[in-house]
Amino acid sequence: MDLIEVNDVEKHYQRLVAVKNLTFTIKAGDFVTFVGPFGCGKTTILNLIGGITENYKGSILINSESPIIIRKKRKIGFCFQKPNLLPWMNALENVLLPQKIASLKEDREKGLKFLKMVGLDRFADKRPYELSGGMQQLVSIARGLILNPDILLLDEPLSSIDEINRSKLHLKLLEIHRQTKKTTIMVTHSINEAVFLSNQVIVLTSRPAKVRKIVDIEITQRNEETVYSDKFLKYAELIKEELRNGQTN
Amino acid sequence: MGKLIKKLIILTTIVFLWHLAVVIFRIPSYLFPSPILVYSSFWENKIAIFSNTLITLNETVIGFLIANLISVSIALGIAFNKDLEDFIMPFAITLKTIPVIAITPLLVIWLGSGSSSKIATAALICFFPSLVNVLRGVKSLDKDLIELFKVYSANKVQLAKMLIIPSIMPYLFAALKISSSLAVVGALVGEFIGANRGLGFLILSNYYNLNTPYVFACIIVSSLTGIGFYYLIHFIEKKVVTWTVSVD
Repeated sequence: MDLIEVNDVEKHYQRLVAVKNLTFTIKAGDFVTFVGPFGCGKTTILNLIGGITENYKGSILINSESPIIIRKKRKIGFCFQKPNLLPWMNALENVLLPQKIASLKEDREKGLKFLKMVGLDRFADKRPYELSGGMQQLVSIARGLILNPDILLLDEPLSSIDEINRSKLHLKLLEIHRQTKKTTIMVTHSINEAVFLSNQVIVLTSRPAKVRKIVDIEITQRNEETVYSDKFLKYAELIKEELRNGQTN
Repeated sequence: MGKLIKKLIILTTIVFLWHLAVVIFRIPSYLFPSPILVYSSFWENKIAIFSNTLITLNETVIGFLIANLISVSIALGIAFNKDLEDFIMPFAITLKTIPVIAITPLLVIWLGSGSSSKIATAALICFFPSLVNVLRGVKSLDKDLIELFKVYSANKVQLAKMLIIPSIMPYLFAALKISSSLAVVGALVGEFIGANRGLGFLILSNYYNLNTPYVFACIIVSSLTGIGFYYLIHFIEKKVVTWTVSVD
């Protein structure tokens, strides 16, 4: 069942056309990744789905409602490029922040449950400066999940993480997706990251972003060895080729 | 502990050299009294000095609080409405360019020779440095964190309470530390112009009588009051702002 329907969307920033003729659908529970050239409008697409960016042409529907309504109902969890943790709060308090903003009773048990899910329950009382970049990003993912959203949006969450820790975090992200079954939409520059994590990769053209190709990734087993498999490399090569063609066309 | 001993050694050396200079050059006590004379004067007049210090301190603290409360309120207003800065800053700069010593007689005329005019002088001298520092804090707010609060549909009160106020804390404390010593100066200036009590009054009345040791004792006490006030703020800062280093 389609959870998100994007139909012929166009978004301008004054004279700059960020996205044009953007059409795609996303099924509930999928892990979908957008890849595209630098500055093509990937984050704009994420912001449109997240109801952060308004005033666009075309239609975007999430469960038959506009993204702004869905955001205001707090049915979307966000995880940005930077972890954006409040430095005066510890990890658990940061996870519980959306509850506090929503004026809900702070559910410390639930916060600890999500911290455990991301493997950081032992660090609940640590301040952000006591955590590594990867750990901070995992706290921000736990924060994105605390209000039990329908959709989790990830805007290049691992871009500032080193290669070795990034591989560990990929497995962690897969584990989180497997456990929560949340529709997860990510933006990344890394083709390998996109193929490894997603069951669908949407390849975008250079600005204004349009859908160049939708690639369904059919990899059943995902582990540290997956990246060396023929199937993985074939998908990665296909996406690279589409990206190259998308830039030249 | 080592640091404290070093400081004590430096202080003792200064006092000793001061005493030595007065003895060697035979400086008359009405020009430059020896530390022993200053101490004697302090001890003789300790009750008067103590009670007048309390008066000055009271004016200092109230003026300090008023100035910082106004500057934080203005900074919060500017955080939500940038246009407010263009409106407020010309007035604030004009206020800053008027020497406090020049405006104090007017404050005495308007507010009387009681505590109010001294509180106003202390507040006036603290206001601009406090405003500038707190505004620095508001301007250095992390835009990504503001975005985070927006996506979770936080209202303005939540934004101020959960993000802006904690974010500007390091800058606020820098402002408080600067204005703590300035507030003492402001209260003293107020007392110089028109008062019948307070440390400023004691300094001025003893200056007229050429009772220089008493003047020295009052100056040292007022300086210690400023230092004590500064370190009190510094101590509170260490307890409150535990997530970052001081910005001053």
